[in-house]
Amino acid sequence: MSARGARRFVADLLRGRRPRSFRADDADVGQLRAAITLRAAQPDSGTPSEEFVTDLHRRLDDQLATEQTATPLPAPRPVVDSTRRRLVAASSIAVAAAAAGAVVDHTVISRGPAQSGAGGAQTLIPSNGQWRTVSASADLAEGGVQAFDLGSVVGFVARTGGALRAVSGVCTHLGCRLALDAAARRLDCPCHRTSFAVSGELLRYQLPVPPAALPQFEVREMHGEVQVYAPPGPV
Amino acid sequence: MGAGADEPGADGPQLRVVDGEFYPDWEAVYRDNVDRVYRLMFAKVGNRPDAEDLTAEVFLAALRPLRVSASVGEVRAYLSATARTVLAGYWRRTLGREITVLTDDEGLESIPSETAAASDATARAALILAGLPENYQRILQLRFVESCSVREAAAALGISVAYAKVLQHRALRRAAQLEVDR
Repeated sequence: MSARGARRFVADLLRGRRPRSFRADDADVGQLRAAITLRAAQPDSGTPSEEFVTDLHRRLDDQLATEQTATPLPAPRPVVDSTRRRLVAASSIAVAAAAAGAVVDHTVISRGPAQSGAGGAQTLIPSNGQWRTVSASADLAEGGVQAFDLGSVVGFVARTGGALRAVSGVCTHLGCRLALDAAARRLDCPCHRTSFAVSGELLRYQLPVPPAALPQFEVREMHGEVQVYAPPGPV
Repeated sequence: MGAGADEPGADGPQLRVVDGEFYPDWEAVYRDNVDRVYRLMFAKVGNRPDAEDLTAEVFLAALRPLRVSASVGEVRAYLSATARTVLAGYWRRTLGREITVLTDDEGLESIPSETAAASDATARAALILAGLPENYQRILQLRFVESCSVREAAAALGISVAYAKVLQHRALRRAAQLEVDR
């Protein structure tokens, strides 16, 4: 029987106190909800006190100061660290928050080691694709990276450890075109300081939720040419 | 709800970041949203100590993901989602069931300004009161909205303190019935 609990809850509300907990039953819910709705209409209720705002600010500052020892604030967060490879799956903030509950920074989902370095990335296979040449084999030496623009798609093809890999050249966050930093073998987004490896993995980002890895293209080498499976270009 | 778009400048002289812009840093995220999160929580718990605690919980939880630059829309969506989980957790902890919830429509975007939030809260209360007999309306208005003591409310209504208590209890029960019927 919780009528007493509900009555005490309402009395606490009316005194502006923190209501004491009790096990509410179905019969209580409507009363408590009505009481809360009515209390929320108090004239000056909507504004937090100056003192609270300042105090919370200080607490947040403290917490940040503790955490910053790992990564300085201005530096984008590294996604891949030396001990663990983390892959990224979250694509929507709301989804990530719901999945993570109130505890946050669960946006990075560990999926164990991905040997290929492409784990989690989607492969773009167009329904009307064709093999299209993006570079002469001779122009793509070991360790080399070439940008390509086929009209319908843009991307980068890289030869790493003898293997070819082609990735989309569009940032998975909001679609800005990535720029190649050839020396660093890195693809940089001009918009929000996001960077991807030439293999498509996310390297760093300054967003609340990490963007997905870059989609991959099928890629092959034929008759001295490097080709990707891509849609036909604009006529 | 859908109480209209965010209007920068509508809140008075305070400079506000408009949607689509990016918060430069954590400070800006906090300054621009702490009032909103608090208002959201107050509307759902009806008391200051809990509203403060829940606001703190939201920001502490969201601190790490949001400490870097992000768009206003992303930040508010994230804070709203966090607020939803925090509120649900609070009710589970304290009463074992969710008395109030933040729906998908009730995010930080839907309370653009202090005045709009206040009129929203007033409108919701008025909706409850409107369905009640007049003496019930008056006791609830005096006690809950105007924060009168039982004694003051009894004097205002010209009834005994004991009867004022009974009246308040009955009025709230009837109001609860309206909530259920709605």
